[in-house]
Amino acid sequence: MSKEIIYLDYNATTPLHDHVLLNMTDLLLSWGNPSSIHLSSRSPKAILRETRKKIADYLKCSTLEIVFNSGASEGNNTVLKSVWSTYGFDNPFDHKIKNEFIVSQVEHPSVLKTMQYLETLGAVVHYIPITRTGEMDIQFIKSHLNEKTALVSVMMANNETGNVFPIKEIAALVKKNNTLMHTDCVQAFGKINFDFEDLQIDYATFSGHKFYALKGCGVLFVRKNSPYINLIHGGGQERSRRGGTENILAIASFGLMLDQLSEIEKQQLRILELRNYFENEILNKIHHVTLTGHDSTRLPNTSSLVIKGCDGETLLVSLDIQGFAVSTGAACSSGNPEPSPTLLAMGLTKAEAQNSLRVSLGWMTTKEDIDLFITELIKIVARLRSLSTEEVLHV
Amino acid sequence: MSKVSSSKRVLVAMSGGVDSSVAAALLKDQGYEVIGATMQVWDYTNCDITEGSGTCCSSLDVDDARSVADKLDIPFYVLNCEAKFKASVIDPFIKAYLEGETPLPCVNCNTYLKFDHLVQKMKELDCDYLATGHYAQIVTNKNNQMVIKTSEDDWKDQTYFLFTIDPAIIPHLIFPIGHLKKPEVRQIAEDKGLVVAKKKDSTGICFVGSKGYDQFITENVDPKILETKKGLIKKFPTGEVMSNHQGIHLYTIGQSRGLGMTYHEKLFVIKIDPADNTVWVGDEKHLYYHDVKVVEPHLLQNIEDGQKLKVKIRYQHKSASAVAKKTDYGFDLHFEEAQRAVTPGQAAVFYSEEQHLLGGGWIKL
Repeated sequence: MSKEIIYLDYNATTPLHDHVLLNMTDLLLSWGNPSSIHLSSRSPKAILRETRKKIADYLKCSTLEIVFNSGASEGNNTVLKSVWSTYGFDNPFDHKIKNEFIVSQVEHPSVLKTMQYLETLGAVVHYIPITRTGEMDIQFIKSHLNEKTALVSVMMANNETGNVFPIKEIAALVKKNNTLMHTDCVQAFGKINFDFEDLQIDYATFSGHKFYALKGCGVLFVRKNSPYINLIHGGGQERSRRGGTENILAIASFGLMLDQLSEIEKQQLRILELRNYFENEILNKIHHVTLTGHDSTRLPNTSSLVIKGCDGETLLVSLDIQGFAVSTGAACSSGNPEPSPTLLAMGLTKAEAQNSLRVSLGWMTTKEDIDLFITELIKIVARLRSLSTEEVLHV
Repeated sequence: MSKVSSSKRVLVAMSGGVDSSVAAALLKDQGYEVIGATMQVWDYTNCDITEGSGTCCSSLDVDDARSVADKLDIPFYVLNCEAKFKASVIDPFIKAYLEGETPLPCVNCNTYLKFDHLVQKMKELDCDYLATGHYAQIVTNKNNQMVIKTSEDDWKDQTYFLFTIDPAIIPHLIFPIGHLKKPEVRQIAEDKGLVVAKKKDSTGICFVGSKGYDQFITENVDPKILETKKGLIKKFPTGEVMSNHQGIHLYTIGQSRGLGMTYHEKLFVIKIDPADNTVWVGDEKHLYYHDVKVVEPHLLQNIEDGQKLKVKIRYQHKSASAVAKKTDYGFDLHFEEAQRAVTPGQAAVFYSEEQHLLGGGWIKL
């Protein structure tokens, strides 16, 4: 469909930045295999080298600590399975067994599902609770860290509520226990500035398509000397740490976006103002709306709402018909009959999760977009509530 | 073709089959603002149904529906109805088999999903109409009421499954292909280049698939419960014990194959008694009944006591004349000619002489 949409689902993926779009045709000419010796490999080799350098400069780390892969799901799998293979039962290194993990209850499925898989192999996983207002229970981490803890994995920011977790504080605790620390930076990267070096973590995962680049490029930071075992064995790519011919086009687009990092500060403030305006307007103009995770530090772009009496799926479809793209934690047609585990973990009831809406703004969002969205949302909520059987909504 | 006002919005239930695809295409041609929707009713991720092979609504069928929607350039959504489908279609389906009946899940799907859930979605999505690919027609009767009539294609007519529709919603329904015959529908699909043009008709029960209903019951019911459904096969009417059986849910009235015994004459399942799990078999002549009880009736139009009706007692039944006598539980039907294999759990659906759908109810013997 060619219809213009107002896109407010930046936490799912982002449109391509003009800087990426305009350079795409030139980049397509770098079709060579970077592993070759002949001339055609030169420009793809240069793309790999230069992008890696830019990332290392941004993270203030060595280029040797950067592995390109397909995305953060692969990165998260690599980290968790590497650590398990290194310290789990029957590890081939004669390491002392460390079979415990501590992860938050609201991690991305690529972490939670991997944990569930490792549990079947004997891993013991402690899930850190999060409150409805977005507070993480740091005391829980303290009380569960012990000599058997192999890894702590906490995302920097949550995809559904935007809650930003105190990674530096957690990493310090974890280091004291001589345990490895991983953070999934997918949602935070490009939305807020952070001093990566200062966090002192061992593994971090990033994804290009949440930052206006192409899909198919992820970055995994692995601190020097941290355990690492290939998820994908193959050719000698990525210093033999990730087999498979590199996705040069996506990596190049990621590199182009790294030239735009200086924009973050300005955009962050602009988007925060828009998000706060949106939330104030909605809370003033629609009754029976609550925010989730709003009492804690949040990404400036994310708003997680519960709109009583409005089924999330129906709300999404209604908005889409009118040309607005948003997201929900409701059980949807995605093959998952249960509503969002994140929202349920934060103490929302199933009914509340079913009535949830996620709005996430980005660099291309304008005040006009938000105004149009507010107007439409008010209309749709009024219609859905007029058809609802819940009495309270009609008053 | 005449165009309707562009402001009319219609929600089309699209299964990914040829009928509902053509329904959507015709509405688009007629100038409606068309929105396609598939109900995801069953989680197919962990089952081995041979998809797209004559059942509706499996995940490959969703892909087909989406592809048709893309071709027609209409919005398309998959609506999650799994919980509702389980509660109102699957659970009663299983329960009926365990009580020795032969259920009719498509009616429940129409009652609780297509013409309830989707009607609600139609309102919520600000649509004026709900359309489906059923072979049925909507006409105006002599009292100027909109009523449902059988389709032009006698063989495909699906009004049998529609007797529980609330008459108040009929003015909001459209059956865009009810005036067509199946080959014409396929031709339209082909002319329009829809990927589903040559797809097989859906015949089976969508969630059961090719493995058969008995396998479905075995996989979805606690073995301890199935154990309590075992019993004896007895000869009707003498009561002679013929053999044991593995559960009443494995038999259906009129069945003659797969009875698991040899006998010098052909035997048919005559009656299933859930009280003591007896499956009665006997001569085919015992399958014929003049009188049938109909319970839990649902009427779209008024029926007078003693009115003569045309009645279908199963989907592929060529209706028969019967007189309906009102009772406290519903109706007693007296057929002019005795009917074969009158099966509890199936519906008796009533029609007028003009083929208008009057209502129906559930068969009890």
